[in-house]
Amino acid sequence: MIAGAASTQSFTGRRALLIGGSCRLALCLADRMIAASLFPILTYRSEAGATRIADFLKGQENRYLAVYFNLSRADSLGAMLAQAESDVDYLVDFAHGELESFIASVDEGRIDDYFLENVACRAKLLKRVSRIMLRKKSGRLVYVSSTAALRPNPGQGFYAAAKLASEALYRNIGIELGARGVTAVTLRPGYVDAGRGESFLRDGGEEALRKVPIRRAVKAEEVAETIMFLLSDGARAFNAVDICLDGGLTAGK
Amino acid sequence: MNLFDEISAILQDILDIEGRDITPESYMIRELGAESIDLLELSVALNGRLHVEINDDDIFLKTLRMDMKEAHQQGVEAATFLAVRFPYLGQERLRGIVADIPGGPTLKVRDIVAYLNWQIEKNRGA
Repeated sequence: MIAGAASTQSFTGRRALLIGGSCRLALCLADRMIAASLFPILTYRSEAGATRIADFLKGQENRYLAVYFNLSRADSLGAMLAQAESDVDYLVDFAHGELESFIASVDEGRIDDYFLENVACRAKLLKRVSRIMLRKKSGRLVYVSSTAALRPNPGQGFYAAAKLASEALYRNIGIELGARGVTAVTLRPGYVDAGRGESFLRDGGEEALRKVPIRRAVKAEEVAETIMFLLSDGARAFNAVDICLDGGLTAGK
Repeated sequence: MNLFDEISAILQDILDIEGRDITPESYMIRELGAESIDLLELSVALNGRLHVEINDDDIFLKTLRMDMKEAHQQGVEAATFLAVRFPYLGQERLRGIVADIPGGPTLKVRDIVAYLNWQIEKNRGA
């Protein structure tokens, strides 16, 4: 943790909706939010996810909320927002489904569902949340994308396509509602020692790290700290933009 | 507060205009100068105050020109076609809209009142 960072950042809002709230990055972030007196609302889509949240945030029960939400089930959106009392100042979106396949070998039956969940359902979520923020004339959205959106490996075509489409949705919220106090940023982490990145690095990713100028993976804590900064009042001029957090990975060949 | 007063109060705030400038016959875009973002803000505010579902395309007649084209392609009289699309607007108003289209965006404050009345009635019936 960057010494003193939490105490120097100011936040106009308090309630932060974390989509995909049971992943390690989201849990790291929730911990920092609680320390900064924000109120994270973490979504989970399975009992295992709910347990992970409860275990990680043990002892802080009154300082966060965990709610069920499945991006692929549009009917869970209304219930989730009702539980969040339709009151959200920040949205941080970590959710993303898996579909790793060469374009030429994909199971065609999975294509529709993949884009429905990761693009169309996300657009519905964004419509609802941005209206809540518009009513308050204040809101900040951070979409956690990936450098793979820009530099996909073989097999990441669907992932990259859905990420780029989602980035475009977030960008346009920043363009459309910026004048009304609602702004959005996309963060593209590179190799991170959590989630997909962790298993990738474990399975022979040493080679990949040689291409990263800082010669290491980005730490989950660094991602969380960066998101805290991006949510803070001081970072609001970052709007409708994509920011890489990749140790320099995408800057060189 | 009746629906018109409710809308007028929100518009005064969003558009920074006087209440006396707003009547049911005021053109939202041509006269009051509302832009797309203002319409969105009005919809969000009405949704929050009245707790009714609002379809922005319907309440602001956003598809009007497309609907007119569709009516033309199908060889159906425009006002008859529009009556199905916008059931909350009476025949007389729809004929007025069709005649008025060459003059620019036809949306009036009264159209918004009509949509909301219809939506609230529908909710009561449900």
